[in-house]
This record gives sequence, structure tokens and C-alpha cells, in this order.
Amino acid sequence: MKKIVWLVLLGSMMMAAVAAAATFRVVTEEATIRKDRKFFAPVVTRVPYGEVLQEQARKGDWLMVNYKGRQGWIHISTVQEQKFDWSSLSGGRAAEATRDEVALAGKGFTPEVEKSFRNKNPKMRYDLVTQVESYRLSEGQVENFIRAGNLREPGGEP
Amino acid sequence: MKNRNLLLLIVMAAFVLLGGCAEVVQVGTAVGQSSGVLSARDKELLDKQAMSTAQAARPMTEKEEYYLGRAVAATILGQYRLYTDNRRNEYINSIGRTIALSSDKPYIYGGYHFAILDTDEVNAMACPGGLILISRGMLQRAGSEEELAAIVAHEIGHIVNRDGVKAISAARWTQAVTALGADAAGRFGGRQLAELTTLFEGSVNDVFKTIVVNGYSQEQEKAADESAMIYMQRAGYDPSGLYDFLGRLAREQRGSDRRGFFSTHPGMTERLEMARSFLAAKGWKRMDHVARDQRFNAYRW
Repeated sequence: MKKIVWLVLLGSMMMAAVAAAATFRVVTEEATIRKDRKFFAPVVTRVPYGEVLQEQARKGDWLMVNYKGRQGWIHISTVQEQKFDWSSLSGGRAAEATRDEVALAGKGFTPEVEKSFRNKNPKMRYDLVTQVESYRLSEGQVENFIRAGNLREPGGEP
Repeated sequence: MKNRNLLLLIVMAAFVLLGGCAEVVQVGTAVGQSSGVLSARDKELLDKQAMSTAQAARPMTEKEEYYLGRAVAATILGQYRLYTDNRRNEYINSIGRTIALSSDKPYIYGGYHFAILDTDEVNAMACPGGLILISRGMLQRAGSEEELAAIVAHEIGHIVNRDGVKAISAARWTQAVTALGADAAGRFGGRQLAELTTLFEGSVNDVFKTIVVNGYSQEQEKAADESAMIYMQRAGYDPSGLYDFLGRLAREQRGSDRRGFFSTHPGMTERLEMARSFLAAKGWKRMDHVARDQRFNAYRW
């Protein structure tokens, strides 16, 4: 009898995981929600790293999401699919463990480790890295470059 | 006793079936403990086992890759000067951003950034996380925008294929992940930070040695060439640009003393042949690129 109870429990856990597979977390420093499914479509809003978004629809490499009441399309490469939040099934200790997992994902090689590495290696040219990262082109510049060179605008309709 | 064994079996089966999810085990053990089937010690052992396996299996996150790449770039930039012609920097970044949007990874944590190293050497280095450093000597050898696009697309291929990260010794990464311990909330402890810093330093050296000293494997170079041709074709560039540029390097390699770039990039003739077969298999014909040729002439060194 107990065997059946455990198997039912296991089965329902797996089904819940499948049903709740439409949650995504932003994995870029900042992600952009756009009006249409195109790289240069007008920006609806921007979403910071780590925010969680629910998928409302999917077409090709684009997901329709809603962030703080603003709806639009986000490119799949700016997000990562999240697993089901198991803590909701048990609460207490497991909820704590889940938070730990989230924290762990941001642990490892972090700004704190970089700071410590820089203190240890003061000759590293982080100033030049910052200079390189500051080369920024606007989307308009890239779009003009593509058009002027008779190149193809990427990421449109699949 | 029978129930206990059954529970252990089910918890471990759930762990395997659900991709090594540590939370699944914790939920299972919590239920097992509250129903009296598992002792507190059993639960602790199972949870610990699940956590350490999950951590060891954790791949490097994109954010971690970004910080690693910054350190690799900071190391390389300690040995070169940056080329500061804004017009040419903008040109290379425009080509790079265009290709990146047609790659398999249009967006990465900190975005793609391209810089020119002010040296006659022939070299190009893709630091993990999207910082791409290309020597003036390399760019000066390109005969068209298609060839410049090929250089940039090849480096983007290494980033997308995560070749830099793959250079880190598996043992070192496992150690870094396990060094985090179970108490991940809050800031690192002093000893933990020191250990992670040492492991970070080792990882930076692993990547640096591969991309600057030893070079990638022939397979990784060929895969990056293949990615480059695919991204170029998607972006509207003539993918034969890669074949043309490899041809230049192969001719130069034959007459060189095989130091510098040619020591870290052997087998140019084999890569050239692979590119030729790939283009033929795809049936991609050469295309006109008058507009881009005109623009290239304005940026030519």
C-alpha cells in the first residue's frame, strides 16, 4: 500500500514539473522586451539580471512575457528556463534550500572574487578592459550598418 | 526496514529521473523524516549527497564566464597596447555586432565587445564572456569586409562554443564549486574567498595558456570555422570570405618560420580544405559585395 502512495507522490511531482516548465530567469546583465519579434523592434521595457518571467506564448526564438504590466517579446538567449519550485510542495526547510540554490547560481566567480583577484594582481589592466567594454554602438548604428552594407537583418520571423 | 529501503530507492530514482535536482531529494527526505521512515541522520546524509552532486555537476554560469573573461582580457591587455583609432574600432564593432546577432547566441551576459591590439603580430583572441581582441597585424591582412567578418565570426564561434571555458581543468572547476559549501547565503568567509580567488587565478591561467600560448585543438578551430561560415551566411556576408582569408594565412604559413600565430594555429591547409568542402556541401555560391567593398576601402590601412 505504502509503495503505491510513494509512487503516486513521485508521479505527481514529475507531472507538476512538466506543467510548470514555463518560467524563465534573465541571464544577461539586462534584457530587452520588444514590441515585435525583431532585434531592432521598439523597446517596451528593460529587465535586470535575475528577474523571473512567465512565458505567455512562444514563436521561434522569441517568448512573449509580461514584466510589471508591460507586455512584449524577449529573445530566448537572454533568459534561461527555470525548474519547478519544489519548496512550494513542502515549505520550511526545503524552501530555505531552494533559496540557497538560487544564491548558489550567483556564487562562484563573482564581483567579490574579481575584487580579491585584482587586489592580489594589481598589474592586471582592468582599466583597459573597462575601456573596451565602453565601446558601445546604438541599435540604430548597427541597423544602419546592416542596411548600408546590403546585409540581412537577423532574427525576424522564423 | 523494507519501507526504508523502498523510500531510499524512490528518492534516488527521483533524483536521477529529474536531472539531479537536489530540491527533489530534499522534499522526499523531508516527507520521509516526518512520516518516521527516515531518521534525521539518514535525511542529512541524503541531502548532503544530493547537494554536493548537484553542485559538482553545475556548469559555469554566464555571469561567472563574464568575470573570468574580464580577467583573461586584463591579463592579455597587460602585454599589448590598445589601438585607439575610433573610426576603425567602430567599424570592427559594427561587423562584430552584426555577426553576433546572426550567431547561435545573439545576447550574452555583458554583450560582445571587440578591440584592436596595436601590434604587427597576427593574432585574435576570444576571451570567455564576449571580449574579443584582434591584432592590427591580423586585420591588415584582410582583403575585404567579408574577410574581416570571417575573422570576427570565427572568434564569435569560439565564444558560442564556450571553447575558453572548456580550457579550465575539470578538477579545478569541481573544486571551485565544492568550495562554496552548503552555506551559500550572505558573503563568502575569508578562507572561502581566498580559496576561490586562488581557483579563479588558476582558471584564468588555464584559459590564458590555451588561447595565447598553446592554442585550441584542431577540432575546435574547425568547429569555429564552420560556425563562422554559418553566421556569415545568415548575416548576408559571403561565407567564402573565410576560405579566402584562410588561403592567405596558409600561403603565409608555408613561407614562415612557424612562430607566434602559426605555432598556435597549425594545419592551416587542412582548415582551408575543410572550408572548401563545407561551402561546396552547402551549395553556397560566391556573391557580389560591391557596397561592402567600397566601405572597406575607406577603412583600409
